[in-house]
Amino acid sequence: MARKSYSKHIPDFRLVTHYAENRTSIVHRMNPKTKAALLVLVVLFVIILQQPYLLAALLIATILFYLAARLPLGLLIGWYSLPVFFVVTLSILFLFSEPGRQIASTRLLGTNIGITDNGALLVIDLLMRALAAVTFSLTFFMTTKYTYVAVIASKVLPNPIDIIFLLSYRFTFETSDEVADVLDAMHSRSGGLIKGASRQTRMFANIVGLAFVHAFERAERIAKAMEARGFSGRFPMTERLPKARWADYAIIVTVSAALAVVTYSRYFSHLTGL
Amino acid sequence: MAHIHLEDGAFTILWVFVWTAAAAVVILVALLRLGRGKLATPRLAIASMCVAVGFAAFQIEIPVFGGVHLNLTPLMGILVGPSLGSLCVLTINIFSAAIGHGGWSMIGVNTLINTVEVVLGYAIYRFSREYLRTRRFAAGFASASIALTVSAFVAVAIVAISEIQGSSLTRAETLTNMWVLALGNIITGLFEGVVTGYIVSFLGRVRPDLLGEKAEVKVERGEALPEVTSDG
Repeated sequence: MARKSYSKHIPDFRLVTHYAENRTSIVHRMNPKTKAALLVLVVLFVIILQQPYLLAALLIATILFYLAARLPLGLLIGWYSLPVFFVVTLSILFLFSEPGRQIASTRLLGTNIGITDNGALLVIDLLMRALAAVTFSLTFFMTTKYTYVAVIASKVLPNPIDIIFLLSYRFTFETSDEVADVLDAMHSRSGGLIKGASRQTRMFANIVGLAFVHAFERAERIAKAMEARGFSGRFPMTERLPKARWADYAIIVTVSAALAVVTYSRYFSHLTGL
Repeated sequence: MAHIHLEDGAFTILWVFVWTAAAAVVILVALLRLGRGKLATPRLAIASMCVAVGFAAFQIEIPVFGGVHLNLTPLMGILVGPSLGSLCVLTINIFSAAIGHGGWSMIGVNTLINTVEVVLGYAIYRFSREYLRTRRFAAGFASASIALTVSAFVAVAIVAISEIQGSSLTRAETLTNMWVLALGNIITGLFEGVVTGYIVSFLGRVRPDLLGEKAEVKVERGEALPEVTSDG
């Protein structure tokens, strides 16, 4: 049965996994450890870079990396909605209150309200930071097979958080499908046409409540099955991460060196006067 | 959106480290409370299922007020308790960072905010049910809406203390600018309170044990009374 996502602006894990498992590209073939290290470095760049033109260059670089993975740009733009919403909600009033030259103004209730150049720059700055990290993160998960993600998670996260992460990753698909089935059944019976906030809210609550009941029942069955198979608190990882080659080391060393330069110029250059 | 997640690049590296360290302490306390991290298999499965349902529920847009997404963190606190709930929200924040719903460097700060929701959701629900003897809907509504309102103020305080990277405003000015964030969170928090109230009412009817409660036996008018076997 074909599955569809119930939101156009929230990345669908099934689609993310589909692209990771079934597509091929130079980025898909890249060593997962290298991509994970690059993700950490990109996040550090996002925090440490200051100049807007460097942030713009970083955002463009991450988008080019996404395109090199032969992933659809339209999907990415749709999935930008939430990060953009979060950044704008956080910084909307800075548009007007940040000191600077007014670039647009209007009168509202007898008060002059104006957008300042520094306010606009701040919002753009925060958007570029957020979107660069989001683009690289999505590229990582849309080009790295689940088995490799699982191995990295089991190495990075402490026990039992790694087990919860890996189990919930698997359960997410089943649970999403179950909720989607209930929604489909509701829509096929014209349930989606029911008007009234109270009725809609109660219906949604019953769907989620039912999902929780089924989830707990399934959890009880899964726990018994896991114990019956001798689960001892660790998942055995049969897959190994591929060994890094010289090209992987070269990429990480080069990007790390660039990060070191950026970090030095921001935090330490005043100490030496360089 | 029941609460705003902070994205990468909003804070400087210093504050990223500070909040990550604070969140690490909270998670460590949760792990110690759960028996030094040695979780029984059923608890692991239940926590994982909670994360999965929370994620699935988040993907549904409720067609009221132009479309609302919920996070159900106070409900998770009610269902699995504050310690396991803290691990659930950490896992949800890792998933969320993967898809851009909150930043990787903000996992710590987002987990701190969500943990407030989980702990308060649990505590207020239990207090309402056990000491105030309120109905499930009222207890669910109060726990979620109060927890989300408090967490909104915690989020505002964290942003004001850390200051937005690149802004030249003072902490006091930043605090003033955060009222939109707080207001948005409080309004959607009230809505999530209603949804949580309905969900716990539903759970109370079909599986009260999930809420740590016993099933209520009601005798409706006209319904046959339980058989009484007596000789006298």
